[in-house]
Amino acid sequence: MNICSCVVHTRPQHGPTVGAALAQLPGVELHGGCDAGKLVITVEDTDTTQAADTLSALHTISGVINTVLIYHYGGDDLASSLPHSAQSISRSGCEEMQQ
Amino acid sequence: MNLTRRDFIKSQAAVAAAAAAGVTLPAATTARAADGDDGVRWDKAPCRFCGTGCSVLVGVKDGKVVASQGDPDAPVNRGLNCIKGYFLPKIMYGNDRLTQPLLRKRDGVYAKEGAFTPVSWDEAFDVMADQWKRSIQRSLQENAGKGVDQLTSRVAMFGSGQWTVWEGYAASKLMKAGLRSNHLDPNARHCMASAVGGFMRAFGIDEPMGCYDDLEHADVFVLWGANMAEMHPILWSRLTDTRLTREGCEVHVLSTYENRCFELADNPMVFTPQTDLAILNYIANYIIQNRAYNEDFINQHVQFETATTDIGYGLRPEHPLEQAAKNSGVGKKLPSSFEQFAKQVAPYTLEYVAKLSGVPKANLERLAKAYADPNKRVTSYWTMGFNQHTRGVWVNNNLYNVHLLMGKIAEPGNSPFSLTGQPSACGTAREVGTFAHRLPADLVVKNGAHRAFAEKVWKLPEGTINGKVGYHAVLMHRMMKDSQLDCYWQLCNNNMQAAANMNEESYPGWRNPDVFVTVSDPYPTVSAQAADLILPTAMWTEKEGAYGNAERRTQFWREQVSAPGESKSDLWQMMMFAKRFKMEEVWPEALLAKMPEYRGKSLYEVLFENGQVNAFAYEGHISDSAGNHYNNHESADFGYYVQKGLFEEYRRFNSAADVPKRGHEMAPFDAYHQARGLRWPVVDGKETLWRFRGGYDPHVAGDSSVVNFYGNKNGRANIIFAPYEPPAESPDKEFDLWLCTGRVLEHWHSGSMTRRVPELYRAVPEAVIFMHKSDARKRKLRDGQVATIRTRRGEMTARIETRGRNRPPEGLVFVPWFDAGRLINKLTLDATDPLSKETDYKKCACQVVKV
Repeated sequence: MNICSCVVHTRPQHGPTVGAALAQLPGVELHGGCDAGKLVITVEDTDTTQAADTLSALHTISGVINTVLIYHYGGDDLASSLPHSAQSISRSGCEEMQQ
Repeated sequence: MNLTRRDFIKSQAAVAAAAAAGVTLPAATTARAADGDDGVRWDKAPCRFCGTGCSVLVGVKDGKVVASQGDPDAPVNRGLNCIKGYFLPKIMYGNDRLTQPLLRKRDGVYAKEGAFTPVSWDEAFDVMADQWKRSIQRSLQENAGKGVDQLTSRVAMFGSGQWTVWEGYAASKLMKAGLRSNHLDPNARHCMASAVGGFMRAFGIDEPMGCYDDLEHADVFVLWGANMAEMHPILWSRLTDTRLTREGCEVHVLSTYENRCFELADNPMVFTPQTDLAILNYIANYIIQNRAYNEDFINQHVQFETATTDIGYGLRPEHPLEQAAKNSGVGKKLPSSFEQFAKQVAPYTLEYVAKLSGVPKANLERLAKAYADPNKRVTSYWTMGFNQHTRGVWVNNNLYNVHLLMGKIAEPGNSPFSLTGQPSACGTAREVGTFAHRLPADLVVKNGAHRAFAEKVWKLPEGTINGKVGYHAVLMHRMMKDSQLDCYWQLCNNNMQAAANMNEESYPGWRNPDVFVTVSDPYPTVSAQAADLILPTAMWTEKEGAYGNAERRTQFWREQVSAPGESKSDLWQMMMFAKRFKMEEVWPEALLAKMPEYRGKSLYEVLFENGQVNAFAYEGHISDSAGNHYNNHESADFGYYVQKGLFEEYRRFNSAADVPKRGHEMAPFDAYHQARGLRWPVVDGKETLWRFRGGYDPHVAGDSSVVNFYGNKNGRANIIFAPYEPPAESPDKEFDLWLCTGRVLEHWHSGSMTRRVPELYRAVPEAVIFMHKSDARKRKLRDGQVATIRTRRGEMTARIETRGRNRPPEGLVFVPWFDAGRLINKLTLDATDPLSKETDYKKCACQVVKV
């Protein structure tokens, strides 16, 4: 199981449209950065698509200037629970950033 | 809802990315990331791939690297990482890792045509030492009665810009001090030698004056044959950031085909191969015609010279091109003047150069204006486009000429900057003396005083070090084919796949029955399969290491995990191999008589148990400041802290009071395990960002108005005129296309590591022929169709790609060289720069036809 995060560079005015297009890709979650033109996304394996394939697809989105990877996890223990509980995860994208 | 590891890791990943980008995330995400305990031990290590030198945090759990993250505290990459970096840990876990030595055997004994058979390390070294001793005996006989600068040798080592600093240093010492052979060359010969030649000719000292901080200071960026977007993605992202946020910032991109950098280009230029020489002379001419040059700077800091011309193409001496060249291989520079230089560049007019290069006049003029504008800070980048060039040294110097005319050098944002392709092309290949002509810290074997200094540091009798320059990479293969070289040990690279003209030189050389080839590698590469003995190697964080990146930054890491099976680091292998030799077997009696205390000793004892290398105790483990413990397999076996001893001895070459060449100072060993790297010269614990300028460089007194190019005795940098001369081979009627080779983002070099990462393999599974649509149409080829590509030397088949990331102009095809199943170097020509001996992988003539 692969989970990684990236910063995707766009021209700032294209942030929201590029962000929306990225979020349509399998396993991609948009976390923020649209206004700055530095989109923070996570990419993970889905049942049908490997994270690596999604990563190479990022370049095909019009308006993407550059993509940099920040973090990668490739361990096999992702389904296990952690000792702590925490609040549920809400989808947080540019909409949430703007609220 | 329970927080799963997946949620936790995802939040951590997002927070790390946001921090790197300087973006604020919703509180919920950051709170989740702070929660939980993941049981992973994190430590820093520089990336294993390109020369950028990104620092990566490596997460180890249960003896395995499970996670990696761009190091947020690293000044180079500031928390960022590229796609190869993301998959970095996976390179160690390919299914076909070699885990024990393999020797070609028939009927239980070594045979050149035998089958690979597992053997013990003892047997491997016995057989190898036997071969080497026989060759060394032959050399001793051949050298009888010869002077120290006439010595030849039949043993060679081919090393790497991916070696750790101490591996390169130990190799240099083993070959040059121990075995008295200068036939030690690194694969950096194929990538950096022209840059080295350019530095030495202009500045008398190697490596860039600037640093990556220029990325945030320049107004103008010019890319000369550097596809940074794919090859140096992290630096490209810093450049992108500056371009998008700095008022008036512009990017000029020059290449022989359109690549991903063109997406950001304000001034995109596709030029005819080899004409970069002429474009640079046009810019110099423009600057002079418009009186834009910095007269004060020129008067105070520059001297003019002119290069010897018509110097051939570094081919075999009997080749018609060498026969035709008036001054084949001559590097001599002749004195010149500003007036003469102005006359020499005068023919390079806008009209002439636009026609020659195919670049529209408006684009050329815009480029020239950017360099000529006194108010714009210009940083120029280049990589293989300049270096892999039969006039590589010239083209490096032609660029320095432009910067020096303007005085745009050695200060923030004004920087001619040679990017490197390997993680330690600088730190190891260039700095510790692994080139056939070099000793550590810029010293050279030809210089008697330099040899004497090295002999003193290494405690050797006077006259030990061979004064004759050894065989460079390309010459080694020729000499193997010609049976002049009998033993060849390749470590940490894949030269059978990397060297040009495989069919005519490399393969016949390696498989020559007179030659014994050893390859040390983690994987069964093309090279390993063509060898006689394969030694399994510990890689990257399976050993303690140090790399030096393109901006003179030295970075250390600790051994994080154990190597599989019986794999050992190259350092361990070289030191163990040295134990096989008695001094009487490698030195003549006359030399031993000068230091009789070495009689009866092993080469290992003389080189490594010399009271310096073995000076530091090993406590059974290495600890960090947090109290974590790490193994160190070399120190465990040799009984002392091997890496520290080697590094501290090496420091005598760059930091002792009596060094012949100052300016390479480094900090003590322990400082590097603390810092995120330090850029040399490091004096009084302080690193140097810009060299040759007061206020930055500790070797230049005064403020930032003071410049001193102290690498040259007169303190001046050289502007050296060199003309446009044609390439060795150009398209003609039969072979009607240019062939340019290179890399792609997903694969690094020969793909021996990246092709073993399933994700990267799938992303780009095979090499394709990037071609212009019209060229494909003319040959009745469609996108995706398999075609034959052929040169005078060989052929292969691959798919045609007309819509990909690289868009060649009509008349040129681009083929990457990572694919072990499609060996493009069967087709390339081994023409080299006669000065740097670096091969031109960017230009030869080919044809592409339907299968």
